[in-house]
Amino acid sequence: MRALLIFALALLPAYSVLADTPATAPTFGSKGYVWNKLSAERIEVLRKNADAVRGQEAFRGCRGCHKQDAFGRVDGTYPRLTGQYASVIIKQLTDIRAGVRLNPKMEPFISPDAVTVEEIADIAVFLANATTVKENGKGPGDQVRQGEIVYVQRGCNKCHGDHGEGNGEKLYPALSAQHYSYLLREMEMIRTGARGNSHPDMVAALRDISTSDMEALSDYLARLPDRRQVVAHK
Amino acid sequence: MTEYGHTTADSFQYRSPAHQKKSFLLITLAFLASVFVSFAVQAEDAPNAPNALCTGCHTEDGNSTTPEFPKLAGLDAAYIAKQIKDFKKDKRVSEIMGPMANQIPDKDIGFLADYFSKQKRTTGIVTDAKLAAQGQQIFDDGIVNSAVPACSGCHGEKGEGTDKFPRLAGQHTVYLITQMNNFKNSTRNNDARKVMRAITLRMTEQDMKAAAEYITSLKGE
Repeated sequence: MRALLIFALALLPAYSVLADTPATAPTFGSKGYVWNKLSAERIEVLRKNADAVRGQEAFRGCRGCHKQDAFGRVDGTYPRLTGQYASVIIKQLTDIRAGVRLNPKMEPFISPDAVTVEEIADIAVFLANATTVKENGKGPGDQVRQGEIVYVQRGCNKCHGDHGEGNGEKLYPALSAQHYSYLLREMEMIRTGARGNSHPDMVAALRDISTSDMEALSDYLARLPDRRQVVAHK
Repeated sequence: MTEYGHTTADSFQYRSPAHQKKSFLLITLAFLASVFVSFAVQAEDAPNAPNALCTGCHTEDGNSTTPEFPKLAGLDAAYIAKQIKDFKKDKRVSEIMGPMANQIPDKDIGFLADYFSKQKRTTGIVTDAKLAAQGQQIFDDGIVNSAVPACSGCHGEKGEGTDKFPRLAGQHTVYLITQMNNFKNSTRNNDARKVMRAITLRMTEQDMKAAAEYITSLKGE
């Protein structure tokens, strides 16, 4: 885990370089919004020597909602974070702290009072390596084929991969094995801009999507295996 | 000021409004213990047992029998030491415990913390099974609609606690509810990372009563 700095440097091209940090970071749709802005805090996080063991202890403060193995809730109220890329976790956590990703439920538990910069790095590597034996929340199961078609038609696979495995270097989250209801809810929030920190291409890709196609996509993605199983089979 | 909240630590000269009789009795009890102790204890040596300053309210095995006074038995030693130091520095404010803590020499804190941490916590009695069942839901799984995290996330699945998150199992319901309300109105603000203040702001009085009713039944193991 001590190699995080190198890992972080490898990620740098994925961010756009910033000149300065404004007092309040702009959200999606407002002037000056950059979806992957490399904020001062994020640079600080990426410079830390992250440690998964410390991360597990720091994650104790998150377990009240996200549960012991970062599995969240099958009903999708809280996402499955198990095995998500460290880079994605760091982006999302720092975005919530900066008020770019709008998440009032979580805000008090990820504020600088609650979690240090080092702990963000620690939690991120802990989550990236976490495992669970629990089954994620699934959809009805009759839309899987339709979901796969929509997934390719809308070009989701170009960023999120052929198996929903995402791309850590580019900060694209793994979607496979995520809870059905969470996928559906976040897609709706991205579509309307309410999530606050989305990639503009992502918002564009979902702008005119129907509810039934979002349901199909979620049905499909929730039944794909954890990204690490896909990589292992390659 | 609320039913539970006390904002000044140094107001030991008690001016008694009639409606605070109970508080008066508690303070008197605590005061008598402290007077007794200040006569009895002058020794320079490290203690080998807690004196009446502590045991007068918390009892010798740290399982207080007065529901307003917390059980200390089985709390992590580091947690106890932090609370005593916080009381001494007015980081945690209590009309009763503040003056008591000021009488504890710094050199004795380690011993006392260690002593009470090694005592076995007793379990409380559930008087309302339905309320306890609601409380178990909150303790194990949180409250989804108001985004209250499960207590077990930090305090452990059996309420056993850690050095940072206190053992809750078996604690008096009255004390638990008082502390939750103190966090809610920020009368108590020495919680780690402001988290308990944030959580209790999302809890109703009913939520707190239910959680406390369940927690008191836990054995912590």
